[in-house]
Amino acid sequence: MTFLAPWALAVGALAAAGAILLHLVARQRPAAVLLPTARFIADRRSLVSTVVRRPRDLVLLALRVVTLLAAAAAFARPVLAPTRSPIARVVLLDRSAAVASPADAVSRVRTLLDAAAPMRLIAFDSTAVALPFTTATLDSIAGAPVAGGVGSITAALVAARRAAALLAAHADSVQVVLVSPVVASEVDDATSLVRAQWPGALSLVRVAARIDSTSSWSLERAIPIDDPRGPAASALRVAAGRRAVRVRTSSLDAPDSAFARGGGTVVEWNESSAGPMAPAALVVGDDVVVAMLGRSLLPAGGRTVARWANGSAAAREILIGYGCIRTVAVGLPTTGDLPLRHSFQRAVRGLLAPCGSGSSGVLADAATVARLRGSGPMARGSALATGGDRPTPLVPWLLALAAVSALAELFVRARPAPEAA
Amino acid sequence: MKFVELMSPTPYGSLLDSLRGIRWPAARRVAGATLGAHPSRLRGNSSEFSEFRPYRQGDDPRRIDWRLLARSDRAYVRLTTDRATLRTHVLVDASASMAFPQPQLTKWRRACEVAVGLSAVAHAEGDPIGLTVVTEPPVVLAARARRSVIVEMIRALDAVTPAGSAPLAPLLASARAQRIAVVTDLLGDADQLLAGARLRIAAGDEVTVVHLVAGEELDPPGDALLAVDPEQPALRRTLDAATRSDYVRRFSAWLAGTADAYRAAGVRYVRADVSEPATKLVRRIVSGVPARAG
Repeated sequence: MTFLAPWALAVGALAAAGAILLHLVARQRPAAVLLPTARFIADRRSLVSTVVRRPRDLVLLALRVVTLLAAAAAFARPVLAPTRSPIARVVLLDRSAAVASPADAVSRVRTLLDAAAPMRLIAFDSTAVALPFTTATLDSIAGAPVAGGVGSITAALVAARRAAALLAAHADSVQVVLVSPVVASEVDDATSLVRAQWPGALSLVRVAARIDSTSSWSLERAIPIDDPRGPAASALRVAAGRRAVRVRTSSLDAPDSAFARGGGTVVEWNESSAGPMAPAALVVGDDVVVAMLGRSLLPAGGRTVARWANGSAAAREILIGYGCIRTVAVGLPTTGDLPLRHSFQRAVRGLLAPCGSGSSGVLADAATVARLRGSGPMARGSALATGGDRPTPLVPWLLALAAVSALAELFVRARPAPEAA
Repeated sequence: MKFVELMSPTPYGSLLDSLRGIRWPAARRVAGATLGAHPSRLRGNSSEFSEFRPYRQGDDPRRIDWRLLARSDRAYVRLTTDRATLRTHVLVDASASMAFPQPQLTKWRRACEVAVGLSAVAHAEGDPIGLTVVTEPPVVLAARARRSVIVEMIRALDAVTPAGSAPLAPLLASARAQRIAVVTDLLGDADQLLAGARLRIAAGDEVTVVHLVAGEELDPPGDALLAVDPEQPALRRTLDAATRSDYVRRFSAWLAGTADAYRAAGVRYVRADVSEPATKLVRRIVSGVPARAG
């Protein structure tokens, strides 16, 4: 138990000490003596103060001290504060399809397990779920299949903020550990805003992203090598399947929608509506492609997965059913060495990556990761705590005790004191 | 062994012995006709010649000095100085304030000794002496000149314990004597007593007030105390260092004012500290009165 206003206790203690001192000073009428000329003494009704070694009126003194201390304790606002540990930890475990090896991520999390520190485990993909941070929980997570959804660091951060508020009352500092590959698809426009709400640095434990392995997904059909996208797609595996990536360079039709709803990814890369070629910079994850590119209009809605240098969207994807449809509004030149550039090939592979992989196949850029990581020390518990201290039920009892003592003091004081003779 | 010591239950013998031969002359000629020791207003046929005065019509022819008439052929009347007794009454204040300081009751004992001493001196001159112990109810001994009156007074005084707050003034007014001595501490009805004394003096009587003051009243004990008025127990005042000087100043002022008031009224005012020996005090009282002849 601690006190929110300890100065009240100090004041009460001082007052009690003062009461004891006053009781050591016997202020009373002196011994009565017959004096026929008493009428010539000024009627001041003064009392005589004498210092005694033992406090007088012990019952009265006890009541007064109890009154003062009880009132002081009540006004000191006692609260039941939990035992604080130096650090509390919130671990955000990426369970999206962007993680290449969920077992590896779980093993990273195991290294963070600390029995002495209060901890929370939040597993997230598109949503975040708080789980008890136990070995059994980690075992079950490691054995569970990956859902395959798109990860949302924003949702994870929101959940982390809530969990940290609960842990802050138990710790001086709160550390948030993000175990994730941090792919571009996991970062959205709200991420930076939510991240700004966190008063401290984040610890990033980056694990391998699924994008690192091209064998994890496949194209439904191979892209001709004379296509500008061909060189980049030549490294991709081609295998028809329910979860393959279908690339359409023309308008979509009903089978495409059905394919997407069934869990596949349809990439609509129709260059026929693209504008004239013009120098432009295309940003896909960490890769920037500067070349003569054409632009076309994108339908509203969806998540932006690629942008032009001016910030406007170059590619968007819309979740539909169990899959998604990605629309790429980038016109490619038919001449030049652009298809042979590595940056362009990485950008193309990112744009062709399935939505279900949790990323458009691109790791988040360094600046995004740096903003996500932040700087400075861990967040202080006091900056996060929201009413962690619970008022104790003692306060009304203390006030009642003070009131009863005060009333008793009145009755005791009203008793006629024996007069010294 | 003297008669008084035989008859008295209290040791007044040494006091009476030490007062033997002391006179308490009247302040003025007395009007009494009984032969005594004080000059009388009357001039009669006593053997103590005073002077001759030419005979005036109406004089008693028997007082004409015939020998002088024969020698000078003029009629003169022979005048003599008569002496008379002075009826004296002693009022002793027996209020509670006289029982101070306790437990010795020095003030009361001194008052008794002064009363007995004055009575003895007056009685030795042949004056009828009476006593009133002002208590509730008062103890009154009528003025007598017989030998046992002193013993009776001593017994009366010894039988009284000071208490209450009986007023002195009514008993002063009712005392049948030409000389009245009041032994008191003046802490009762001092103003009424002064008014009564003025009336007695206006009537030609002689009033002596012996004001007894205890040393503890002039200089109370140094420790702080709750002073309680014995005549008014509800009056309680704290006397400490803060109030002491004011008390001394007020009490001294009251003493001075009281003395001035009584003396201005023609009262023989004698202030006495109770620590003063009774013999010395009685001598001071009786000798302070100037003897005025004729």
